[in-house]
Amino acid sequence: MKIASSALPVTIISGYLGAGKTTLVNHLLRHADGRKLMVLVNDFGDLAIDADLIQSDDGDIVTLSNGCVCCSLGSDLFEAFLTVLDRTPKPDHLIIEASGIARPQNIANIARAEPDLHLDGIVTLVDAELIEANLANPQIASALMEQISSADMLLINKSDLVTEQRLQALRHILAEICPGTPALGCKHGAAALDAVLGAYSGAKYDIQATDSADHSEHYVRWSCEATGSFDLDKLKKGLAALPPGVLRFKGIIRPGDGGEPVAIHRVGHRVSLDRMYGPAPPVSHMVAIGLEGQMDPAIVEKTVLRAKQ
Amino acid sequence: MSELHIFKARKIVTMDPEQPEATHVGVRDGLVVAVGSEKDAAGWGTADTNDIFADKIIVPGFVEGHSHMFAGGIWRFVYVGYQDRVDPQGRRWSGVKSIDAVIERMRGEQEGLEEGVPLIAWGFDPIFLPAPRADRHDFDRVSDTRPIAVLHSNFHVMTVNTPALRLAEYTAETNIEGIVMGEDGEPNGELQEMAVMFPVMRRMNIDIRSLSGDGDGIRDFGKVCNAVGVTTATDLVASLEDSNVALLKNVTSEKAFPIRLVSALNGLQQPPDETVTRARELAPQSTDKLRLGSVKIVTDGSIQGFTARLREPGYYNGAANGIWNIAPDQLNILVDALLRNGIHTHIHVNGDEAIQVAIDAVGASIKRQSADDHRTVLQHCQMADREQFEKMRELGLCANLFANHIYYFGDQHKAITLGPERARKMDGCRTALDHGIPLAIHSDAPITPLAPLVTAWAAAQRQTAGGEILGEEERISAYEALHAITLGPAYTLRMEHEIGSIEPGKRADFAILDASPLDVEQDRIRDITVWGTVLGGVVHRA
Repeated sequence: MKIASSALPVTIISGYLGAGKTTLVNHLLRHADGRKLMVLVNDFGDLAIDADLIQSDDGDIVTLSNGCVCCSLGSDLFEAFLTVLDRTPKPDHLIIEASGIARPQNIANIARAEPDLHLDGIVTLVDAELIEANLANPQIASALMEQISSADMLLINKSDLVTEQRLQALRHILAEICPGTPALGCKHGAAALDAVLGAYSGAKYDIQATDSADHSEHYVRWSCEATGSFDLDKLKKGLAALPPGVLRFKGIIRPGDGGEPVAIHRVGHRVSLDRMYGPAPPVSHMVAIGLEGQMDPAIVEKTVLRAKQ
Repeated sequence: MSELHIFKARKIVTMDPEQPEATHVGVRDGLVVAVGSEKDAAGWGTADTNDIFADKIIVPGFVEGHSHMFAGGIWRFVYVGYQDRVDPQGRRWSGVKSIDAVIERMRGEQEGLEEGVPLIAWGFDPIFLPAPRADRHDFDRVSDTRPIAVLHSNFHVMTVNTPALRLAEYTAETNIEGIVMGEDGEPNGELQEMAVMFPVMRRMNIDIRSLSGDGDGIRDFGKVCNAVGVTTATDLVASLEDSNVALLKNVTSEKAFPIRLVSALNGLQQPPDETVTRARELAPQSTDKLRLGSVKIVTDGSIQGFTARLREPGYYNGAANGIWNIAPDQLNILVDALLRNGIHTHIHVNGDEAIQVAIDAVGASIKRQSADDHRTVLQHCQMADREQFEKMRELGLCANLFANHIYYFGDQHKAITLGPERARKMDGCRTALDHGIPLAIHSDAPITPLAPLVTAWAAAQRQTAGGEILGEEERISAYEALHAITLGPAYTLRMEHEIGSIEPGKRADFAILDASPLDVEQDRIRDITVWGTVLGGVVHRA
């Protein structure tokens, strides 16, 4: 049951050439899990979607058999946004694969400014083997630094190709550039969909369900439904204080005054509130995804309950 | 035998060094056959002599090597810039020198506009106006019910009124870079960069791209060119889909369409191999008045926007280095693909780091293969130094320098972006010529006004809007400046065998002037009146 509609969530996938953006996008499309994803691929790149996923390809728009859609950004990012915003039916989630040298903040600002869009987050891929060399190249270093520092979540791709020692050193470098931002190891761009894009509205998990299917990381998930109302400010502060292992939190919250519902998100360590349209749900619904050993579902639940009015 | 028409003039400046001046030019089938005296022309047989230019000066039609088609369609909006400009109808709009004058002009244009219909203006340049800087309250004085957007001359900033701000739901709580806040803590109406302009533009239906996407936009661009003596102009960068090409072919083939249009494909909108394929498909579709097949690549941003890529010592005011639109590694691949396939390439480079990256890309590609006469053009190329010009000559690169910057932005470059040392050297036409670089100069219209005589004047005088002479050593002569708006850009467009000078066998493309740029005082070149043009023998009065 669709209880409320909100702005179209936008996730920006950034990272330098060869970091694995297209591989990640293919992975997300393959594991879309019923979600209608729309992917805008940067103008300069090939629309390299795995052939077995494609239902039809008219040159500009590739339609997948699972209902997802991909198209090229073309020559103008803003024209592409106009097309997306006018599209019916509306996709569930917009993914933008930025170009290798793009500054993701510039794209993110569109999603922040446009009332019909919601910035879900910036996910930056780094190439475990090459990132240090790339950061030492003065021609591209500042763009890569921004890609890393503006990320809500970092994916260290090809983490299986370096020694554990180098991986630790790399984590250290990344933590210095952007303290507190979760950095997930992955291989072949295989990261869990709900970690990268957030949980689907209405997702329910058994407490402490974990999985590791083709992912380098082990995830833990938590969800709950709660009656009554919440102190949004308290909830926001509580969520912000959770450890970095809590990758994502999403709640559709019934406000105390019975007004329109509010969506609350934590992506990485950034917490944001978004107004929603339509009738409030009978109960508030919340989901969290984190790294096993780094997210304790009991603490998440305690944080939520403390904000109950 | 086709008809021979002879145009008689007070003087004809040919730009042919072997016959620099004439009084009569004979035209047959759109081509020049005779250039010389009345007697010289008579030798070509029976002709009708046209005296309409008897008291005028004929020079080769001007060639604008770097402009954008939306310089025509933009006139659908109200012009509120500081400088005088001529619209497609030939009407001269005087520059507005105060915010009150801006408001007065917009009020006038609002009359007859239905309630609630958005009002859009362009060309606004608050740095030239007395302080305080305009905000939403000023434009609320034009209307506090109708949404109003005023695009600044750089197209990167706009100032809107309160109803327009409301459309995008911007409030005191909105905390997004680019939404400027007033002293009252509310957004003051100034929106910087497209990200925050987009929601307002979307709701006000402002679509810059559509300004060059329809027939009237193309025709208006032709008219803007005609009014300033331009007979060949570029649209440096276009997406050129099939439908777009069909429209361009139709409109440019109209007899009344007064220019040859060179439209370069955007090299960043598809992968390199597709760019090569598309450029090859486009080239054979060229006509007399539409030239296709070249490619433009944008590398960095602009110096005044602090988005150009600079080498040390960077920006004078300490701003962070600029942005790449294409990673240097990708540029190498793209340039190599284009040169290997003999595709004529224009590379936008403003800062000296971007210039170096482009030179290196061309150098690496040439090392791998012979690319004779590739004539890759570095567009803008504003910060090239002696070593870079030297290397450019060695590699066969051309320069199309942004001479207008000296006048329009020179004071800002000296005081804010680059500092005095590098501002004096920028757009170094003298150094380029001394190093033997094929040189063109341009306006980048509508970023600065399309007006080659002003561009030539700027390169010869190097006088800023503030009245200072910036880098006297980089001045060029009136003849060199005239060359840089005729034969020079013709060469950078690979059209020098057809246009750029008045010689037998070349196309009869002329600009008709009241005075010769070579005879007036050098600082008066920009004041010369343009009567109109001749394109392939057809007279187009401005």
